[in-house]
Amino acid sequence: MNSKRNHVRGRAAALIAVAAFGVSMQIHAQTQSPQRAAQASVLPNVVSEGAREILARVRPAVIQIKGFFGSNTAQAFHGTGFAVARDGLFMTNYHVVAQKIQYPDKFRLEYRTPEGNTGAITVLAIDVRHDLAVVRAAGLSPQPLRLETTVPSKGDRAYSVGFPLDVGLTITEGVSNGRVEDSFDPRIHYSGAINGGMSGGPALDAAGNVIGVNVSGYRFEQLVSFLVPAMHAQFLIEKARASRATDEALTKEVQAQMRAHAAELLGAVSGAMPTQIISGYALPAKLAPFVDCNASADPDSEQPVQMVTIGCAAKAGLYVEHGLYSGDFRFAHYVLSTTKLDAWRFAHRLSALSGAAGEHGNRKYVGPFTCENSTIQLKGFDASALVCTRSHRKLEGLYDITVRVTSLNELHRGFASHLDMYGVAFDDGMRFVRRYIESMEWKP
Amino acid sequence: MTTEIVIVDILGGHGRVLCRERVTLSAEQRRFTIGRSVEADVTLDDPYAAALHAVVEIAPDGTITVSDQGTANAIIVGGHRHRGAQSLVVLDGLLQIGRTPLRIRTTQQALAPEKADYAAVNGASVPVGLVIVCAAICGFFVAYLGWLLAPRDTASIIVTSMLSASIAAGVWVGGWALLSRILLGEWRWVQHAAVLFGVTAVLLIVSLLLNLGWFVFTLPAWGAREVIEIALALAVALYWHLMHASNLTHRRAAVIAILLPAIGFGAGGWVQSRTQARDVNHIGTVETIYPPGLRVRAAEPSERYFNRLSALKAIADRKRAAIRADEENDAAAPTIGE
Repeated sequence: MNSKRNHVRGRAAALIAVAAFGVSMQIHAQTQSPQRAAQASVLPNVVSEGAREILARVRPAVIQIKGFFGSNTAQAFHGTGFAVARDGLFMTNYHVVAQKIQYPDKFRLEYRTPEGNTGAITVLAIDVRHDLAVVRAAGLSPQPLRLETTVPSKGDRAYSVGFPLDVGLTITEGVSNGRVEDSFDPRIHYSGAINGGMSGGPALDAAGNVIGVNVSGYRFEQLVSFLVPAMHAQFLIEKARASRATDEALTKEVQAQMRAHAAELLGAVSGAMPTQIISGYALPAKLAPFVDCNASADPDSEQPVQMVTIGCAAKAGLYVEHGLYSGDFRFAHYVLSTTKLDAWRFAHRLSALSGAAGEHGNRKYVGPFTCENSTIQLKGFDASALVCTRSHRKLEGLYDITVRVTSLNELHRGFASHLDMYGVAFDDGMRFVRRYIESMEWKP
Repeated sequence: MTTEIVIVDILGGHGRVLCRERVTLSAEQRRFTIGRSVEADVTLDDPYAAALHAVVEIAPDGTITVSDQGTANAIIVGGHRHRGAQSLVVLDGLLQIGRTPLRIRTTQQALAPEKADYAAVNGASVPVGLVIVCAAICGFFVAYLGWLLAPRDTASIIVTSMLSASIAAGVWVGGWALLSRILLGEWRWVQHAAVLFGVTAVLLIVSLLLNLGWFVFTLPAWGAREVIEIALALAVALYWHLMHASNLTHRRAAVIAILLPAIGFGAGGWVQSRTQARDVNHIGTVETIYPPGLRVRAAEPSERYFNRLSALKAIADRKRAAIRADEENDAAAPTIGE
């Protein structure tokens, strides 16, 4: 299963550039390969010894997990799992088994050991928030791997095992970079290769203990990959032991966990709304350590209108199923000013930024928008406000909310602020919208 | 010896006169014959007419009567076939022999008064100066739209848009002028140009003023407004074009001018609103912003606005319940990928 994660979205522009670069690099590498091979044989063998030992130790405990649509014998998706308890309990990612949870009648799961043995798999417990799932592999009970619940330090040797791109059992070697700072999802930063299909596989320290579960990597970036810390796996194993979960209960469980995730996300930003003054307007800024903000502007622009763009994203969206992410928000302020343009044309420029269009909506998952707009009094200035919401169909009780606020006070200054929330409870979401809008202030 | 002229019009499709026969009557000779034969007074080239088909008699008071000469196809008067009719009165002078409609006109028939030509009576007075002023207003608006984008290469933007606007206006006016030429025999360029530029100028001014008014008085957005403005302008323009280009009565021209835009915009609007109601990403509220200094009405206290937002939940839920998920759309349609 490919590990497509939410954070990738915001980086699309960067990715395209790097992709083009990647292609030329690849061609370069091919033409260089005979020389490389010659160099490699000169290097000492220490590195591969460690990996070989680790792989030999974990090999019996690792399985490939495959999903099939209906009675097809060709796979629909695949990932990796590893033994975590004696009685055939294996850990994997939620996103590896998500389709099975969402469409229990349409998909079936099977395992395949490195030796080629196969058998059925049932899902016992899930943790969407940490992207984990515990499954039972029928007729398989290898020695479980030991979990190491302390996060390794930056620079510790680490290994990752899985079945990338269905090319067979693979081990990659890298370095742990500790816990990712300022991330809403707890993650260990692993500087090593994790590719599609390795999801759910174990990441190990030099002693062969599991420090985390392979979860994602940026495509086209170089070896920036992520692991779910092993401590989150521990709790789920206990839960799975007691589990008598039915298909229906698991589907409901996903919805409940998504609601809890949204509540946790908005709870984490429920304190005072920090603001930042740009061009005389106080506007919501970095709300919490995990909210990622970027600001940009043209430093020596001759343009008639100067624009400062501040974009912030919580990057907290969770994968629910193919095409559906939920529990996230992001906002952007476009602050305009001019010394060259008259008020009439400046207003026209601001108009162009005040429009709204929903994104990422699929009729399978959400209903249409409904909106309310008005010109309202804020602290020290008037603004045009538009709030729209749509109701989720699959995730009951969750809503997408889209907000546009455009200042209406100055002749040569103004801003358009965009806030988009995905999969939040209506009342929580609207409370946040209100705090967001009411925190804005004109401070010339 | 007094003689009297009777005109027999041999008609073709749509009541057009194919051929006109003049028959001279005297006090003694008040009848004439119609048939396919050259011996008939009025000869028809109609294989469905008999050699000597009918005898027409004009009484001194102008009453027209017709007698069938024992033909197979008889005579049609007032929509009925009168077999073997003798001295049948033809009230309006209209009858059909074989497949040929005929109209008999006598000196006694009352003539309708001269019909006023709307264009000839009202249109001739269109001052060219007014047309030029209206065209200048339209041109000014085209230039204004270019100016809004300035500073870019404003001059070339304005020239390009002026050119395309002129071509569009030329095609429109030319089309109507051609229709006038075909139906009335006159081009009437000035009148049609007056209609186009006059209506467009009024539409542009009214629409700008309304937009501005909406902003100045902080009125809630009304999405259909623009469509209604355009439909109304089109109706007015159509009415005047039709009056200048055809012989339609006021009433018929008005009905056509109202129905065409109403049906066109109504159906288009209906389709669009359905499409938008199914599009889960559609928001569509667009507001034009003008310089804030123009606003005269105070904004709403934010408290009141936020209180209203709670009502959105129920509406969003209702819209969600109403949507059909099984309908294939572009986003959900099968695509090849991972």
